[in-house]
Amino acid sequence: MNIWEIIVITLIKILIVFTLLLLTVSYLVYFERKISAWAQNRIGPNRTGWKGALQPFADVGKLLLKEDIVPVNASKVVHTLAPVIALFVAFTTFAVIPIGPDIKLFGYNIQLVAADVNIGILYVLALTSLGVYAITFAGWSSGSKYSLLGGIRSSAQMISYEISMGFSVAGVLLLAGSLRPYDIVYSQSGWLWNAVIQPIGFITFFVSAFAETNRLPFDLPEAEPELVGGYHTEYSSMKFASFFLAEYANMIISGALIVTLYLGGWHFPWLESFGLAPWLVVAIQILTFIFKLAFILFFFMWVRWSIPRFRYDQLMNLGWKVMFPLSLLNLVWVAIVVMYIKP
Amino acid sequence: MENLKTLVDSLYLLKPEIAISCVLVLVIIMDLIMDKNKTFLPYVALTGFIITAFLVVEQYFFKTSITQNLQKLLVIDAVGAFFKLIVILASCLIVYFSLISKEVKEAFDRHGEYYALICGMVIGMFFMISSADLIMIYLSLELVSLSSYVLAGFTKNSLRNSEASLKYFVFGAMSSGIMLFGISIIFGLTGTTNLLAVKSVMAAGGNSLTFLFASILIFAGIGYKISAAPFHFWTPDVYEGAPITITAYLSIASKAAGFALLIRFITLGYVQQIDASGAWQLVAGSIDWKKFFTVISILTMTLGNFAALWQDNIKRMLAYSSIAHAGYLLLGVVVLTNQGLSAVILYFIVYAIMNLGAFLVVMLIANKIGSEEIDDYKGLGYATPFLGVCMAIFLISLTGLPPTAGFIGKLYLFTALIEAKMIPLAVIAIINSVVSLYYYIRVLKHMFLTRPQNEDLVINTSFAEYVIVLVLAVPVILFGIYFTPIVNLAKNSVALFLQ
Amino acid sequence: MNLEIILFILFSVIAAASAVIMITRANPIISALFLVLNFACLAGLYLLLNAQFIAVTQIIVYAGAIMVLFLFVIMLLRPEHDLTLQKKSKIKFMAAAAGIFVFAQLVYIIFFFSPNASQKTSVQSSINSGTIEQIGTAIFTKYVIPFEAAGYLLLAAAIGALVLAKKKFE
Repeated sequence: MNIWEIIVITLIKILIVFTLLLLTVSYLVYFERKISAWAQNRIGPNRTGWKGALQPFADVGKLLLKEDIVPVNASKVVHTLAPVIALFVAFTTFAVIPIGPDIKLFGYNIQLVAADVNIGILYVLALTSLGVYAITFAGWSSGSKYSLLGGIRSSAQMISYEISMGFSVAGVLLLAGSLRPYDIVYSQSGWLWNAVIQPIGFITFFVSAFAETNRLPFDLPEAEPELVGGYHTEYSSMKFASFFLAEYANMIISGALIVTLYLGGWHFPWLESFGLAPWLVVAIQILTFIFKLAFILFFFMWVRWSIPRFRYDQLMNLGWKVMFPLSLLNLVWVAIVVMYIKP
Repeated sequence: MENLKTLVDSLYLLKPEIAISCVLVLVIIMDLIMDKNKTFLPYVALTGFIITAFLVVEQYFFKTSITQNLQKLLVIDAVGAFFKLIVILASCLIVYFSLISKEVKEAFDRHGEYYALICGMVIGMFFMISSADLIMIYLSLELVSLSSYVLAGFTKNSLRNSEASLKYFVFGAMSSGIMLFGISIIFGLTGTTNLLAVKSVMAAGGNSLTFLFASILIFAGIGYKISAAPFHFWTPDVYEGAPITITAYLSIASKAAGFALLIRFITLGYVQQIDASGAWQLVAGSIDWKKFFTVISILTMTLGNFAALWQDNIKRMLAYSSIAHAGYLLLGVVVLTNQGLSAVILYFIVYAIMNLGAFLVVMLIANKIGSEEIDDYKGLGYATPFLGVCMAIFLISLTGLPPTAGFIGKLYLFTALIEAKMIPLAVIAIINSVVSLYYYIRVLKHMFLTRPQNEDLVINTSFAEYVIVLVLAVPVILFGIYFTPIVNLAKNSVALFLQ
Repeated sequence: MNLEIILFILFSVIAAASAVIMITRANPIISALFLVLNFACLAGLYLLLNAQFIAVTQIIVYAGAIMVLFLFVIMLLRPEHDLTLQKKSKIKFMAAAAGIFVFAQLVYIIFFFSPNASQKTSVQSSINSGTIEQIGTAIFTKYVIPFEAAGYLLLAAAIGALVLAKKKFE
């Protein structure tokens, strides 16, 4: 393959991932509403299309047609920039997450990942740490105290939980001996997934992922009773929709990361022993990945409609006094595993 | 892997550093576990420091010099061990001072952090004293600085205290930034951070102008630590605002470490060889340190002495006096000979004792009368004759008059100057000493020649205070009369230097 | 022109431009924003030098952590009303003079002295030395003493920050 072929193939991959991501996000909103209805014993959206199946498109249409209001006090450029950063971070992170093993197509050996880089996990961490800017800038540039408070709360929250997240990831890296997502997935073939070997790290990562995506029970940045709408109080129309999109895209990415790092990626236990045709194996593996991801996403929503919001000091205490020491403990455990138990 | 193995094999060279690290961790953990009762923390630190002091003494007799084993990052030798000894003994005394200081006792409930930061400073200073690599120099300097910024603003929750801390921080950040820039230029020029490697690249025909510029930038960082002239601005404010124990500590330990670093930096990075007469031959094309230091030291002592004339706060006065003493100490470096180095070492022994003593008396008096203004010292010589006499001894020694140890220290410095045929510089230094007589004696005049404002004022001295003051006052007189042991110590330390 | 040179020109032009914009803005938040952009471009330049790990660390540490704290301080202190520094042209002049001096110095080193002319390294070895494995090995074997010293530095900084944060004024 020469350089141009690689570029074209990568562009096609990016296009596919991007479209899929956008579609999934819009349907996630639909499912969120359906699940909340289920949790609260309601019916949920059911007017647009069969059982409300076209609801996402109606929502997008509505948001596009709304007036875009920018407050007088706002710093215009930054106000526009914030949702762009949010979307940028949300969509670029997916580039390094592999959804299946290599496939052969039209004589090319194609990896099912947009960019296979050897520091993939660090890339993810770097981009998520940039995600703080979207919220901080959104809060500051609106020129409103509720927004500012929401923005500052959120950055404090994200910085605090990034630490336990980083340390949990360190456990995975230690076991895999590599930062390449592919190597991490291959290191947990069979049923010995990282979630089994290092359950503490799995839990701390999971909780931190909730905090990083600002989902309930950690959605303090947008806590309605105290902050009206939090950092996006002053946003409307498509800019608001961008934050919305970014939030759900972040959810998908967190889910995909959890699957890749802890749930064995596309691995289906004992699949090799069934003796299936190679193309079928690959298809099952991709489906496995999607199924695992879907389950995690369902779990995210389930939690949202079951658990009440934390108070701010409880959130910080949990982050610094529980999650951080636990993730350190996990690191020590993994080091012991690597030194003495792993052959 | 081989690197790691040689390192593990040569860990015995780092015993003092390891010991002090253990003390640091121990202090933090004990502070955490023992929630209420923290009175024993200083004793833990003190015990650890004394053990470290023994390990440092052991290090003094190691026959190694530049150590291949430690990746050429650190140098373990007798001169370094001597400076470490000064640092660790000063630390012991400072912990003892903190025990009896009312200011420290009253104003804080955070003993753990206080002693942990002192331990941090000691580790930093140990690394500073023995570092042979620009990375180590920068890291250790920064470790010392960060700990001392916080310590300077530790006890009193007053604005003056915070101002001291902030000023110290701003100046410190500035000068370490400048230093880092110099380091980056040297790295760019030579592709290495090791001082020996830098020297060999430069000796092979380097770019002298840029090298000179970078050297001066690096000196900015060191000059800040020893409070040499253009970088001394922080000294008076910080010395005045910081708790007095920390002031004393900064004026001794951090200055000793700074001087050790300076000597290390010059000898490793610029000195080609030491000839038979003990003179240091600089690398061809290197900056002319002799001229540079001459200017700096004249500036430093003159500024320090003349500014001290107008001070009314005794801590501020002692701050300027310590700037002046940095100038005197630089005289020993100016000559670039082994004689000069041994004079610096000798002077440091003396300076540490007398300066700590002076600060101790000031602290004890402040404990009782709650003031550090010179005007409030009126008639104190009658209220507390013991402290008054000791103060007189320390101040006379700081001036450099016989029969005190200060005289011996200055004598050897000036002799080194005259041997190096730098007579004009020696004359300037002597004139400076004469000027300094005025402000030291002024304090004594207030104490003994004026009637006390408050006739009933009686200052009692407890037994512990008696002991510690005597421990410092007796050597000042003793070494002034019988000075052979310290002179021998200084000569022996230098004997093994860089050979 | 190959891709590398195009990318180099792109990154360096943006980096230089954002640096200039950063120091000329009146609003400190905008300055901080451009500083982040500058850091991102520097990370790109590191990538071109095959230093992937340093590039990512640059983003995580500087752009992701340090600048966020900067923004915090700026937002909470709200110094946009305090424009005294802007008016002091003397300071500006001195800063410009210092900047020009340093720039001249660097130009002199790079163009007339070419310090690394004697050091030729192959592309492959430079790629290898930029990997996280190589950097980790160097840090934990050759440079383990500075590494520990840096550890104490951070410990002291953490203790110090706690002390200062707990401080209450009368």
